[in-house]
Amino acid sequence: MKKAAILAQTKEGQLSEQTRQLVSFVSAFYPDQIKLLILGDVKFSTVSSSVPVDLFQLSADLYADSDSIATIAAGLDNFSVFGIKSIQIDNMLSLLAAITKKDMISGIQTLSYSSDKFSISKSIFSGKASLELSTSTASFFSINRNFDFSQISEYSELALKSSSSVEKTNTNKASIVSIKPITGSIPLPDAAIVVGAGRGLKDPGNWTIVEDLAKALGAATACSKPVSDLNWRPHHEHVGQTGVKISPNLYIACGISGAIQHLAGVNGSRIVVVINNDPEAPFFKHADYGIVGDVNDILPRLTKKLQSH
Amino acid sequence: MKILVCISCVPDTTSKIVIDPATSQISSQGLTFIVGPYDDYALSRAIEIKESHSAEVIVLHVGTAESEPLIRKCLALGADSAVRIDGNPISSNQIASAIVDYVRANPVDLILMGKESIDYNSGIVHGLVAGALGYVHFNPVMHLDMTADGLHLTVEMDGGKMEINCTLPAVLGCQEPIAEWKIPSMRGIMTARTKEILILPLSSPSEVQLVKADIAETARKNKMITADEAEQLIDLLRTETNVL
Repeated sequence: MKKAAILAQTKEGQLSEQTRQLVSFVSAFYPDQIKLLILGDVKFSTVSSSVPVDLFQLSADLYADSDSIATIAAGLDNFSVFGIKSIQIDNMLSLLAAITKKDMISGIQTLSYSSDKFSISKSIFSGKASLELSTSTASFFSINRNFDFSQISEYSELALKSSSSVEKTNTNKASIVSIKPITGSIPLPDAAIVVGAGRGLKDPGNWTIVEDLAKALGAATACSKPVSDLNWRPHHEHVGQTGVKISPNLYIACGISGAIQHLAGVNGSRIVVVINNDPEAPFFKHADYGIVGDVNDILPRLTKKLQSH
Repeated sequence: MKILVCISCVPDTTSKIVIDPATSQISSQGLTFIVGPYDDYALSRAIEIKESHSAEVIVLHVGTAESEPLIRKCLALGADSAVRIDGNPISSNQIASAIVDYVRANPVDLILMGKESIDYNSGIVHGLVAGALGYVHFNPVMHLDMTADGLHLTVEMDGGKMEINCTLPAVLGCQEPIAEWKIPSMRGIMTARTKEILILPLSSPSEVQLVKADIAETARKNKMITADEAEQLIDLLRTETNVL
């Protein structure tokens, strides 16, 4: 890989931990050049890398078609371009891949590069299986959030070499009417701890015990599909095969039986706790820790125990 | 107005995935196939638009003849005609190229598909198609309404959602609650029998090589804690697993 680029979003001006690790990971291949393309504010001035990194700040705008994204694409000829999976990153990488007429691979769990060839393992069937593939032509790579960066070399922090901004080509094909951020809670895909609840809660009014536990843990709340179908909880909290897929450090499932469609959304969790009053609930087979009991009794006790420390 | 709905045919969501030892790839033996659930949402919304705005709905699938009963089901739901691009694609790029070639020869106003297929989970075919055609692209779209000069959309974004006005032509990746899944009527099933399925060859090669597939099993501790000692969980999470 002669030239590499990383497309990344920032939050409050900072890169996510995974993106910082991705920069080090890519630099370990010693490309001649690394471009860091940033969506959002930049309030950092160094990255850990083996080679100097050029910073390009992209205008915070809608990149919704190949014309609007053309100025970015023009600077990426013969680059291998990487990003950490998110809605915006995958959308932009796929548009860029199509404009530059290159292949793209997404859902990447492992990646290595030698003799001009990428060997990749990709997560498929919602994490139930993986697929190994190789390519010498793909140039766009979307890396899963739970990619294992633990083996990467440590490089010293280098000051970003230069910085310039890239403006969108204005096309007037699309405009934003309004933006509604999810407020008052941690966004599910970002959460390190998630507390999910299902129909076992019996009534949407009972959700305070779930929210209290989540608050004590600093966790996001999630729900099963039946619960969002019943409108007990908003659709964006639905975790499962056709909902959000999560990979937190800890997932606590309360009153969820563990249908295969729900498991498909939580397979990537590091530690799974299941609390259910039905000892036959299939979810217990997929749990690290299981408690057979009434959620109305157990959850407040766990919350109390957490608050006492 | 012409709407193209691209569908994937994927193993049913309850399928147990097994590897065929002879090929080291996913075995299709004993699997029940369905139209991708997200694609089903896209098709349902296209049919609603057909009913309210007299659009023509064409279903496109890149795959083998085994998918024809599922394509026929889409016709029974109300699609006017279907195209099957005959082949066994192994990459998103191959599928996107086939769709792009078809649309260049047969222009449409709106291309809808699911936000991702639930088998290979790539979620990039819509972006690849939009980028190649120069069409507007949004994904994942939760609400879609026609306006006098284009579309009004609600689109999920990282950490929220946004309302968008955009022009046609457009390519949209769809997800719930864009429409309710529909069930074919008896009349729909009867008329679908005589609707056309055009078969075209798949000409785009794959430049990605498949090596092998594996089943991913996450080993779990399966440790049970009695309800009386539920508080112990917090200590175990702190000491045994370091997640708190």
